[in-house]
Amino acid sequence: MEYDEKEYLMENRGRRHVSGHDTQDPGYHARNKAKNVVIAILALTTLFGAYQHHRAVLLRRQLDAQYNRAFYEMTGYVQDIEVLLSKAMLTSSPQKAADIMKDIWHRAELVSTNLGQLPVQQGALVNTQKFISQVGDYAKTITGQNVKGQVMSKEQMDTIKNLHELAVSLNENLDKFHGELSAGAMKWENLAGEGARLFSKADVKVPQSISNIDGTFENMPTLIYDGPYSEHMNNQKALGLSGENISEDQAIENLGKLFGKDNIRNIQKVSDNKNGVIDTYNFRFELAGKKEASIAEADVSVVGGKVVWFLYNRDVGDVELDIDKAKEIGKQFLEKSGFKSMKDTYYTEQQGIATINYAYEQDGVTIYPDLVKVKVALDNGEIVGFESKGYLMSHRERDIPKPAITRDEALQRVARRENILSSGLAIIPTNYGKELFCYEFKGKLDGQDFLVYINAMTGEEEDILLIINSEEGVLTM
Amino acid sequence: MRLWKFIIIFALLFMFFAALHTGQAQNSAGRISDVQLLARAINGEARGEPYEGQVAVGAVILNRVKDSRFPNSIAGVIYQPGAFTAVSDGQINVPIDPNSTVVKAAQDAINGWDPTYGCVYYWNPETATSKWIWSRQIVTKIGKHYFAK
Repeated sequence: MEYDEKEYLMENRGRRHVSGHDTQDPGYHARNKAKNVVIAILALTTLFGAYQHHRAVLLRRQLDAQYNRAFYEMTGYVQDIEVLLSKAMLTSSPQKAADIMKDIWHRAELVSTNLGQLPVQQGALVNTQKFISQVGDYAKTITGQNVKGQVMSKEQMDTIKNLHELAVSLNENLDKFHGELSAGAMKWENLAGEGARLFSKADVKVPQSISNIDGTFENMPTLIYDGPYSEHMNNQKALGLSGENISEDQAIENLGKLFGKDNIRNIQKVSDNKNGVIDTYNFRFELAGKKEASIAEADVSVVGGKVVWFLYNRDVGDVELDIDKAKEIGKQFLEKSGFKSMKDTYYTEQQGIATINYAYEQDGVTIYPDLVKVKVALDNGEIVGFESKGYLMSHRERDIPKPAITRDEALQRVARRENILSSGLAIIPTNYGKELFCYEFKGKLDGQDFLVYINAMTGEEEDILLIINSEEGVLTM
Repeated sequence: MRLWKFIIIFALLFMFFAALHTGQAQNSAGRISDVQLLARAINGEARGEPYEGQVAVGAVILNRVKDSRFPNSIAGVIYQPGAFTAVSDGQINVPIDPNSTVVKAAQDAINGWDPTYGCVYYWNPETATSKWIWSRQIVTKIGKHYFAK
């Protein structure tokens, strides 16, 4: 057919738009509409995607800012520690030394807090963290002695010198890392593989500058001193365990002696625990005579065959017993189990179960380190938990000397002696593994119960404890 | 044809809304004490494990607080970047019932029960992606987890 332009225009004049479709096609409008809806949704998701991306960029920036802050604060404090260690080597007065050591300890705590906020993989900076913890702890111990007017010994000075050298190396390596950070060669998201996680499941390689930082301490001297982070705290031996290694069967027999052989069903050894502070056999078993499945777990030591701990988790019904009855039940259980001469000290009561602490008593002296805990269910008095690691680590017959000062002399050292209600003798643990023989004075000031420990040999005030009586029981802090 | 369009549109809208959520429950009101925080961490890390395994996870956290190689507080240890998956996947924020097992496990750990004898590392051999963790000295296996020093 011929196409006559003029004719076409004549026919279509007045029409608003010239549609390019066949107006006879009924599906056209529907398809068009659907197409428009899909386009609209695609546009929406693209906008949404752009918005989310923008938000992600802002959050990443905020996060990086936090990491940067932690890093800069940390480096600043490490530099302070280097300077302070230098000064410590130059002072002759114990008072100034105490001041410097206190500042080192304070800075070390701040380094530690910030270091713990950096996004590094497990294990990447553990040696650095350990160095900082030990430096701060060591400084704190020396402050304790400076405050009593004692100058540092030659050995301590040598240690300070060593620590100073390590601090110098650490600062150098931190500086190199900082260089990479500022140049943009290192990004925080690369460090912990935060960016890579989508596609790779493998270990992200620790960047060289980070392993250099931690490598500073490869040859760090072993620090042994009176503090909780001293190396000797990692090598403690169980003094309360002696004898031959026992077999699995003997271990099962010993469990039976404690809980009644007929009460234990289906006992299975789950694992052998080695390399820990006590080697044990781990058992899982059922307690007979229960309505529902009742799984209990217990560990028996390989040396000496002692039950180290026992746990039986069950729901507790209505509370029928009071705490005094529970203490009695616990004590009877301990006597039956071979723990003689135990005295109850503190307890907590949670969800119908009382956890009672018992300490060993020798010649009227309460020996707190020899600690055993018993969990008593307050619905029927059943023993649902037992823990004796403290006892097994430290118990032995001690040679307790006669106190060097009298009780009255010791009382003179107590600030609030008019508020003292009772006294006794005790051996208390320290957080660096040693024990102290003390007079224990219990008192009350303005409604607050307290305990003061005066060293029975030197008369020094060793510790102060607050006794908190809460609905959860009696706690000390 | 109509049905297909409907499906596509629905799928796009679904993805739109799914992207808005990241799978976290919200915090309930109230102060979080040490026991609560520890219990939440145990819940996030060892929910299906035997009771002993839950106490063990709590003990590892407390052992880290006492160890020179880690932060000095329960919160510091739990929130150390990259340390616990329960934090990065939001499980730490799931509120838990005060009568639940994980709370009891947290209390036992705080009261001194430590089935790991001082461990500071644990991992699930089937899901662990870090090769480095296998260099640690293993002390015990409880449930699905190895525990090491």
